[in-house]
Amino acid sequence: MTSIGTGYDLSVSTYSPDGRVFQVEYAQKAVDNSGTAIGLRVKDGVVLAVEKIKHSRLLVPGSNKRIMTAGRHIGVAAAGWMSDTRHLVKRARDEAHHYHSVYKADIPAKIIAERMGMYVQAYTLYSSVRPFGVSTILACVDTDGPQLYMVEPSGQFTGYRGCAAGKGKQAAKTEIEKLKLEELTVRDAVKEAARIIYAAHDEAKDKLFELELSWICAESGMLHAHVPADVLAEAIQHAERSLDEDDDDDDEMEDEDL
Amino acid sequence: MFRNQYDNDASTWSPQGCIFQVDYASEAVKQGTAVVGLKSKSHVVLAAVKRSPNELASYMKKIIRIDDHMGIAVAGLTSDARVLSNYLRTEAMRSKMVYGRALPVGRAVNAIGDKAQINTQEYGRRPYGVGLLVIGHDDTGPHLYEFSPSGVVSEYYGYSIGARSQSARTNLERHFEQFADMSLKELIVQGLRALRDTMPQGKQLDSMNTSIGFVGADAKMTILDGDDTQPYLDLLDEGDAAMDTE
Amino acid sequence: MDPVTLELPHTLQRPGHAVAQEPMTRPAGPIVTGTSVVAFKYRDGIIMAADCLASYGSLARFRSENRLFKVNETTLLGAAGDMGDFQYMKHKLEDVMTHEYDMDDGQRLGTKSVYKCLSNIMYGRRTAINPLWNAYVVGGVDGGERVLGYVDLYGTTYTADAVATGFGKQIAIPMLRRRVEGRADEISEEEAVAILDDCMRVLFYRDCRALNKLRRAKVTAQGVEISEPYSLETNWTYAESIVGYGA
Repeated sequence: MTSIGTGYDLSVSTYSPDGRVFQVEYAQKAVDNSGTAIGLRVKDGVVLAVEKIKHSRLLVPGSNKRIMTAGRHIGVAAAGWMSDTRHLVKRARDEAHHYHSVYKADIPAKIIAERMGMYVQAYTLYSSVRPFGVSTILACVDTDGPQLYMVEPSGQFTGYRGCAAGKGKQAAKTEIEKLKLEELTVRDAVKEAARIIYAAHDEAKDKLFELELSWICAESGMLHAHVPADVLAEAIQHAERSLDEDDDDDDEMEDEDL
Repeated sequence: MFRNQYDNDASTWSPQGCIFQVDYASEAVKQGTAVVGLKSKSHVVLAAVKRSPNELASYMKKIIRIDDHMGIAVAGLTSDARVLSNYLRTEAMRSKMVYGRALPVGRAVNAIGDKAQINTQEYGRRPYGVGLLVIGHDDTGPHLYEFSPSGVVSEYYGYSIGARSQSARTNLERHFEQFADMSLKELIVQGLRALRDTMPQGKQLDSMNTSIGFVGADAKMTILDGDDTQPYLDLLDEGDAAMDTE
Repeated sequence: MDPVTLELPHTLQRPGHAVAQEPMTRPAGPIVTGTSVVAFKYRDGIIMAADCLASYGSLARFRSENRLFKVNETTLLGAAGDMGDFQYMKHKLEDVMTHEYDMDDGQRLGTKSVYKCLSNIMYGRRTAINPLWNAYVVGGVDGGERVLGYVDLYGTTYTADAVATGFGKQIAIPMLRRRVEGRADEISEEEAVAILDDCMRVLFYRDCRALNKLRRAKVTAQGVEISEPYSLETNWTYAESIVGYGA
């Protein structure tokens, strides 16, 4: 839990005596309360997955997307406030569009990541605004191959092989670290991503959730797209099966203990 | 609700990662009378309770037409809703003029969602104090969206916002799986049934305080008020009578 | 000494901004140009052709240009006139389609919408007295319906069973009136290709800015298909007997 900065935590333009900007940490809190989002960079593409927590059964499945596209070749998955996410995606689209209108080429991953980082950072400087309550995971395939970046509320942007944000961040990270990402294909990665989201999901806290999966690979024409229905169904099946197996393992271990 | 030091403006996060001003704006939605929305495979319907400020005044409008294919129902600050409906009408018209096509409903709602998000991030602004249910029919069929002061929009099979709307949502949740195959008439009656659950003790739905809106593949956005709602209110009563005899 | 001024295309040269006291200037004509585009409706959709030449005045400057552009899965665009302006328009339409892709909501921008959007851009530019120096043909299949429309630098628009630009209006349209209009539903693809090739052949004979290297494209319910460049068989033997014109 973030400590509270008594009086030094009301504005983003105020440091606390020990040199922290509490408002940014509080914005990070909003991210930590949200459904898990992960990204995997593998040898032939990038996969994004999000645990979309649903507050009602009345929500239309497949609608209310949490993974969005910015300029065809970039995917944005987010953990945090949905309305802030849309703001940033809009910005990412504008950046991609502007770059394209100047250079007539798709914006490279590290440039869009940097520009998004700069934009988010600007909201940590002035008392007239609040920082974004969202961590965005950017997936992209450019001339350097598959790329994955994460932009945090502080404006920090980092390149990753695999990354996670949101509620199940710790559990997801542990699982991602076990993967040999350089050897995986996107087809494998889709299944692994589904499994990780299912494993990170906390049944006790959030009953309803929906898995959202997207990729950029040869199969999607190197464009960012949600995975086709059959691939999604297969991935969910895989995730549920491995979850059951884990439960069985746990049972066995308990038996041994006895 | 108690004041605390983090709830003065929309540009301050609380230590828990909330924006209190946004939460308070959501309270304004609950001050408005309830509205209900629900959809079938072919149509989408709104039902709303209108309020009259006093006996000499007329009832406040709850359902607003945006375009032939789209309409909204309002809960909360009506004047904020007018700003948003104006914007939606402009966008709908722009889509017609530039591309010659009806504005896709999802994009319309997201446009006002994005607009609302700005008010949750900058000092000196306040979030919109209104919730909307947006209905519309486009190339991908009928749609029902909720717009909330936080700028979050969500698509539903059926939903309700406003005073005591939880009762209506409970009703909708019990029946929503049957909505898909309902006729327009059945859908309206189903909507009224959910809406009725939000009425305070001793108050009834009648032709004066009920407003109905619908749109579908074969129906332009239509709003029914006054005597036009009576046939559906009668059906609602008949349905009750039938249930009693069973 | 006069400062060096750089005139950017599509940029208003405001008085005072450019050389002092000079009147504002606007493009007075196209620079690198493409000639006719010919298109008509047939049984399965729309067929269209344009040659591969971009002329610089009377010089046959660029000889492998593609003047047919696939806007989306159902829409084809053919361009005559200034090739720079065409490239600008392609870029603009790409942006529109990228935005549509990003929306990811199952909605499609149909041929009619593309045509309307294009027409608005053209009319807007002519009203700003800064026209894009082109004539465009838009063809496609929109909700099972064949759409074929024309729009030019004046913002003039019309739809018809057979559409052509520039010199093609003089040469190809009379041929198409006879062979296409009123019987578009009967024409098979094979016949459509024959009619189109005949039009392009006559145009090549008569139009000094034409090239015997062209592309053909069709839009059907299956989508857009643009051919590789090909040539037509021509017969110049009669040329020997032509005397008394010019040299």
